[in-house]
Amino acid sequence: MDSTDQSNLKRNKSEKKLLRKQIKARNTLMRHEGIECVSHTTQSLVVANGGLGNGVNRHQLLRLVEECGLVEALLMPPNKPYSFVKYGSTEEAKKAYDTLNGKEITLEDSNENVTLYVNFVEKVHWEDIIPISLPPGLMMVEELVSPEEEQKMLESIDWTENEVIQNAQKSLKHRRVKHFGYEFRYDNNNVDKDKPLPGGLPEICNTLLETCLKQGYIKHKPDQLTINQYEPGQGIPPHIDTHSAFEDEIISLSLGAEIVMDFKHPDGRTVAVMLPQRSLLVMTGESRYLWTHGITPRKFDIVHASGRQKVGSVTPDVGDLTLNRRGTRTSFTFRKVRRCPCNCTYPSVCDSQQGHQREEAPSFHHSETEASKLEQEYVHKVYEEIATHFSNTRHSPWPQIVEFLRTLPKGSIVADIGCGNGKYLGINKDLYMIGCDRSQNLVDICGEKKFQAFVCDALSVPVRNSSCDACISIAVIHHFSTAERRLAAVRELARLLRPGGKALIYVWAMEQEYNKQKSKYLKEKRASKGKEEEINTDVAWGLFCDQMHDNGSQHSTCSDHVLNDSKDKGSNAKQVINSKLPVHTNRTSFHSQDVLVPWHLKGDTNKKGECVKALQLPAGSKELQEFSPVFHRYYHVFCEGELEAACKTLACIRIQKSYYDQGNWCVVLEKQ
Amino acid sequence: MKLLTHNMLTSHVRGVRPGGGFPLRIQATEVKVNNVDFNQEFVARMIPKVEWGALLEAAESLGHLSDLPHQLPPEYENNEDFLRKVHHVLLEVEVMEGILKCPDSGREFPITKGIPNMLLSEEEET
Repeated sequence: MDSTDQSNLKRNKSEKKLLRKQIKARNTLMRHEGIECVSHTTQSLVVANGGLGNGVNRHQLLRLVEECGLVEALLMPPNKPYSFVKYGSTEEAKKAYDTLNGKEITLEDSNENVTLYVNFVEKVHWEDIIPISLPPGLMMVEELVSPEEEQKMLESIDWTENEVIQNAQKSLKHRRVKHFGYEFRYDNNNVDKDKPLPGGLPEICNTLLETCLKQGYIKHKPDQLTINQYEPGQGIPPHIDTHSAFEDEIISLSLGAEIVMDFKHPDGRTVAVMLPQRSLLVMTGESRYLWTHGITPRKFDIVHASGRQKVGSVTPDVGDLTLNRRGTRTSFTFRKVRRCPCNCTYPSVCDSQQGHQREEAPSFHHSETEASKLEQEYVHKVYEEIATHFSNTRHSPWPQIVEFLRTLPKGSIVADIGCGNGKYLGINKDLYMIGCDRSQNLVDICGEKKFQAFVCDALSVPVRNSSCDACISIAVIHHFSTAERRLAAVRELARLLRPGGKALIYVWAMEQEYNKQKSKYLKEKRASKGKEEEINTDVAWGLFCDQMHDNGSQHSTCSDHVLNDSKDKGSNAKQVINSKLPVHTNRTSFHSQDVLVPWHLKGDTNKKGECVKALQLPAGSKELQEFSPVFHRYYHVFCEGELEAACKTLACIRIQKSYYDQGNWCVVLEKQ
Repeated sequence: MKLLTHNMLTSHVRGVRPGGGFPLRIQATEVKVNNVDFNQEFVARMIPKVEWGALLEAAESLGHLSDLPHQLPPEYENNEDFLRKVHHVLLEVEVMEGILKCPDSGREFPITKGIPNMLLSEEEET
């Protein structure tokens, strides 16, 4: 009997709604994931909104599904908002279907509620459904050489005069290494470009290099070869091959045994890649420049159990994994020595580009004019455009700032320099607070709220010396693009204070995870209606969002999820004119101190708060991307101690307190 | 812009003599008077922070000088009558539209909907 077609029963409203949502989930899975649901009972179910990608942990889901019967396998593809569960019998699966479809659960990690929608799926091969994508630019070629060629190559290596890795732990047997073409130096992880080794690359490699060129795996003939031999238990620490040493394409042939290599992205994502025996690994682009790669020193690898060797990523938690004892693996890694500095698009991990920045220390500008222009483009203009939307997302005053204001003596005159929408101007009625901001539109909002405010630049505040009992500067100074200007802003605050007066400064911290605690900025994966700043996930799964939030709000959160940063870079490339500044991915850690942070303008009001016709687009529609402008704001995020050090250079103030608060470095200064 | 706020503002145009930018002359085209709750202690604490002469000048230019004395009476903290007058001038009189003029350079800063725009151009900045 068809489980979803019970035509004899009278449906009440909530049943109809459940059915609608369930069908919607089915359609989404088909359209966007290629997963086909069926209407008859099978042993396997797909659970929409029950995935790692939407915050359901394995622990919690396993408990739920095990209650319904014997679970043969629970498959939770990483980054996906769904999971698969296979039961021992169709009866158990049916029971799970009845129990879990439409069930609302509270996520353990975030206390948010989601509703599960369950559908049956046919028996399919797990491997076909859940490839974890390899790091971009990474490719695998199987059986590049024959077993005979492999044998010949291994025998050709003369280990009698192999390299000794400096400072290797004497007690541990280290992997063996040999270089050809150019000497690779382990003290600086670079190549001595002026000292080519005599003999060049071994002749035995010629055929395979020809093949690689002919097949288009590489564009240029390599001139450097490193042979690494790993006994079981040996590895190599995670690293990126030095940008300035080698060109883009790096190829690595695995001989003697297979092995698992770990790739890791700066934001923490890891991908385990199986390298079969006699296969060629090709690293280009992001996989070569941004992801680290390494081999864990161990004697076993976790691999897929099913029969033949699997090429590609090793997916965890499949229910099909087993241990593979390692053999001795020898890698032939071919690279081309780089002659010009690297100009990749990953400056945070690029030694060529970092070097340039250091030359222009402490800032990447030479002139005040350039600094001012950058701030005009990427701070002032942006805030004027986004003022209303920005103001709508600023309404929770931070407790420690409130505390600072509440403890000031009654009748204190307090200046809020960079007051934005006036969030703090009305906190303590016993104070006389005046606010100022660079953005006319934001200050106008203060005026509407009947606060005292004016427009000015924080570097030149038109207020008398020593006239304030206290000042606050919250999330302002990090918008100045040179160290001198940032210091000048602090100096202005000090000037305004009377002797004994106090200033509170908050700036965004580079370290968004401190004392093992993630800041709210990192933790929050969801923007509830109008509350917090826009988020971008790097997975476009917008179609699930209205099922998850289930509030039918006009502020559909679909725009949050459909947009992702890589798309933004393309569509708004003309805005990001400064190629030295990386564009930050919201809700992730910072990799550079000077960044452009995207702001997705949302809502049905333009900058002046006038109503425009709300966009009526089907939920999750890709067209939404074109209507939602992205702005980039410049930030210099501060390292631990940086704000303090800057303040210490001013003789007229003393640092009274210094702390970390929710992703910000903070100081309280006292005027001497 | 209340007169207490005005009392803190100064012109910061390049080339102005030290102290020469204060007080800004008010040319008001729209003035509003509000009712603000009187808090005696609050007002008393404000008085030492205020430039008295500038306050008188500003109040007069708006026609709200009333009978504020040129000098502070002794023990004004307990003088409710006096403090009420100060309260009125400091906190209840608001310039909604007009101009603030730098006494030294003549530079004019507009006030719109109660908000002064003190932003200088690049050439004017010190």
